[in-house]
Amino acid sequence: MTAQFVLMQLFNGLILGSLYVLLALGLSIIFGMLGIINFAHGAFFMLGAYVAYTITTYLVPNFWIALALVPVLMAVFGAACEMLFLRRLYTLSPLYIMLFTFGLMLALQDVVRIIFGSMGVPFPTPDSLSGAVNLGFMYYPKYRLFLIIVTVAISVGVWMFLSKTRLGALIRAGTDNPRMVDALGINISRIITLVVGLGTGLAGVAGVLAAPIQNVRPLMGMDFLIDCFVVVVIGGMGSIGGSILGGLIVGEVIALGVMVWPPMANTLIYFFMAVFLLIRPRGLFGREAFHD
Amino acid sequence: MQRRSSCTSKAALLLALCTVVAWLAGAEAEPVKIAVLTDMSGPYAGITATNVEAAKMAIDDFGGKLLGEPIEYIHRDHQCKPDVANQKSKELYEKEKVDVIFDVPNSAAGLAVSNQAKLHKKLFFSIGSGTTRHSGPDCNRYTFDWAYNDYMLATAVGLWAADNLGKKWFTITADYAWGHDLLKHFSATKKKKGGKLLGNEMVALGASDFSPYILKAMQANPEALVLLNAGKDGINATKQAAEFGLKKKAKIVHALLFIDDCKAAGPEVFADDYVTGAWYWKSDNPGSKEFVEKWQKKFNRPPNWMNAATYSAVTQYLKAVERAGSKDAPAVIKALEGHKFSDLLANPGYIRPEDHMQVGKAYILRAKRPEEIKEPWDYFEIVGSIPPEEAYQDPKDTGCKMDDF
Amino acid sequence: MTENTSSRSRAILIGALLAMAVLFPHIAPYQALASEVLIFALFAVSYDLVLGYAGMLSFGHAAFFGLGAYGTGIFLVKMYPSVPLGLLTGLAVSTLAALFVGYASIRRRGIYFTMVTLAFAQMFYFIAFKWTGLTGGDDGLQGVPRPQLGPLDLGPEINLYYFVLVLVAVSVALIFRVVNSPFGKTLQALRENHNRAMSIGYDVDRFRLIAFIISGFFSGLAGGLYALLLHFVPLSALHWSTSGEVVVMSITGGMGTLVGPILGAVAIILLRDVISNYTESWNLVMGAIFMAAVLGFRGGIMGLLKWRR
Repeated sequence: MTAQFVLMQLFNGLILGSLYVLLALGLSIIFGMLGIINFAHGAFFMLGAYVAYTITTYLVPNFWIALALVPVLMAVFGAACEMLFLRRLYTLSPLYIMLFTFGLMLALQDVVRIIFGSMGVPFPTPDSLSGAVNLGFMYYPKYRLFLIIVTVAISVGVWMFLSKTRLGALIRAGTDNPRMVDALGINISRIITLVVGLGTGLAGVAGVLAAPIQNVRPLMGMDFLIDCFVVVVIGGMGSIGGSILGGLIVGEVIALGVMVWPPMANTLIYFFMAVFLLIRPRGLFGREAFHD
Repeated sequence: MQRRSSCTSKAALLLALCTVVAWLAGAEAEPVKIAVLTDMSGPYAGITATNVEAAKMAIDDFGGKLLGEPIEYIHRDHQCKPDVANQKSKELYEKEKVDVIFDVPNSAAGLAVSNQAKLHKKLFFSIGSGTTRHSGPDCNRYTFDWAYNDYMLATAVGLWAADNLGKKWFTITADYAWGHDLLKHFSATKKKKGGKLLGNEMVALGASDFSPYILKAMQANPEALVLLNAGKDGINATKQAAEFGLKKKAKIVHALLFIDDCKAAGPEVFADDYVTGAWYWKSDNPGSKEFVEKWQKKFNRPPNWMNAATYSAVTQYLKAVERAGSKDAPAVIKALEGHKFSDLLANPGYIRPEDHMQVGKAYILRAKRPEEIKEPWDYFEIVGSIPPEEAYQDPKDTGCKMDDF
Repeated sequence: MTENTSSRSRAILIGALLAMAVLFPHIAPYQALASEVLIFALFAVSYDLVLGYAGMLSFGHAAFFGLGAYGTGIFLVKMYPSVPLGLLTGLAVSTLAALFVGYASIRRRGIYFTMVTLAFAQMFYFIAFKWTGLTGGDDGLQGVPRPQLGPLDLGPEINLYYFVLVLVAVSVALIFRVVNSPFGKTLQALRENHNRAMSIGYDVDRFRLIAFIISGFFSGLAGGLYALLLHFVPLSALHWSTSGEVVVMSITGGMGTLVGPILGAVAIILLRDVISNYTESWNLVMGAIFMAAVLGFRGGIMGLLKWRR
């Protein structure tokens, strides 16, 4: 095993981690706000890829336009789901909201299967990003480098939005303690709509970005979703910094695990999660006894 | 008390009488009933759901009647879940009283249904599941394995690749029973041909990132990269191999690839890759053109080779019932064992009595580059074929001990 | 509603359920499906003990169901063909696993408890997946026999159904006893007010652990029966989707009611079977049903029944 290979593998871990970060960010802020695991999140990811496919195939054959449009469309979709359905359920036990998102996941996946088929649809790498670049010590696919850059940009953007703006401060306060924000006389329901929209939009971006390197198919979000639980838990539920760090850690754990013992790379993250939670129950940045 | 018991006995007598009458009536004119149990909503649905149509078409083309009665037909969706497949097979054999079940993709599901066939003493034609256990240690008198198995997939393309693509190979294997099976047979072929396996990587099922394995393969610098996986894993691996530039240096050989995969991923992904196929829609076997034409007219696309295999299996079953003059399982089984035929799928085809494997020529297909594709769905070119004696394992070595009825 | 009428209406409900259960294989779409419904009803009831009564959302119950199935199956295939011994082996394995997982995770609260149970279940899944010599891996453990039980031939589906019915009925009755015992009352008190119970001096974790182990025990029994029913053990018995399934059954039926999860299991398994015969889009229909159920009659099927009353 050469140093070059190890280095490349670290890069690949970063790519995987990037996708996890984008998904986990949304999963985590929705959890913080509503106290639910959003099972539909993987389906939102998948939907993002399919919306991008529809745009590039039937409307304008331009990846960049799709990349710009999909997050907006998905955010609107997520916000609409919140306003139409989830909003009616907040008086119920969070478990029922989870069941609802589970049903939503099944329905979305099946609708996409009915429209586009179960085999998936083609999604080529955009021309301007295909091929590899010479990094000095190795050749690396352009698209993957681009993916890392975009994730960093989005993560920084979300971070800035949440930490520097007034709205962001309200969202953070809301994820910490929704009741308190409500008590301060701020319209919490609008903030919840915003958070669900933001989370869905992030899942949508992840979907577009993953499309050129993955098989775009109705169930593509399922495998990712369960891995993302691990990310969010290791980072600490409801924590934004935790999602980012957790995503990168899980990505690297898988990438390094692959070098040591490939068949067990998948198991490794669960082992890692179990041990991690036993030593540090709150995850990296989470709070104790969240929504007990 | 007295009264009640006499009442019961009367009722029992009546019931018994009814049963006898029904039995006498039924013994003469019970129609043949066939079932397709396949994945219609799960991960293989894109390939196997249309097998239902293939079976219907086979019945229509046969004339729709057998032993003087119209042939009855039913299908069930096993959702690609082995437990559902097992339960549905009981429904079909017990409640629906079918005589035979066709298809059942997914090895675990296929093996479970094979066991149910044996328990119910009814026939089962395994088409979608490729495990060699059907014609090996788990073989039984009631199960027939149609059109292909893992041994044939790995061996045929392995033999061909050794002669035409070079002898330095690198394999990436899906880490579960199916992948291990393929690797075993591929390694054996490699040994036979004096090839060199530069390395193998076991990849967890459902892994979305193949880049580390592609990188290892590129460092080994093989002449052919062999992907012993299928479906989305095959698509992901090939997409990423192209991304890292591996396709410029080596050819890619697949264990399993359908025209449906090419459509889903786009033809540029698989351009110039090689794979074994049991059939291709441009084949000139007897009846093949007619079948394809009819299919094109109905569904506006050509059939895949699973469809052709289903059509063939249903047709050969119906013909066997006709030869036996009865739908009685032992009689039909005897009519099938050792039978030689020529149809759209196999020209010639042979049902080996030793292990119930239906054998035929194995085709080597090359995926066309986008600019070569002149007709929609014409994704492959037949570049060679391997005779059945070489493509399939000698029945002496399969480990099958065929039991009695 | 007085205590008396409520217990009478409960007795009527139980009687009706039992009568239904006896007739069930004759009206169900097919006999083997009836057994499957009962087995999942038992699984859902034992799960409800943890979710509904102890208030812990476990997302790893597939481990106990699956280990019960594998324990029973492996004993019957590789050691000795005896149904009682096979089931006992399955029970021993799943109970031990519940003890182990419970002990390790019980101090975690809320979502972290959920995730630890998921992590353990995933590990069991991957172990079974890799240990093909013992479990058959992805091909499943094939060829589990149904040996004669004394004078009873378990081969025909109808005989197996009544055998399953007896075991499930006894188990459900035992779980009812547990829930209505002082232990069960304490458990519910702990769920309602965790801090107060602690300050009174209850060892909360011990109560939760015992509930978890009892639940693992009965989940294992359900798994063992499942191995007998199928004549094989599918690897999916250990998959997280099986955990998800039992959560969905409990919530759909109405958690914390015991009868609810039974109704949830019956409804979901029957609906899925019937719908999948008519349309390939049964996932869409099921998804729509779940969404409508939550939006329409909050509190599951039991909530609906209460509301109509």
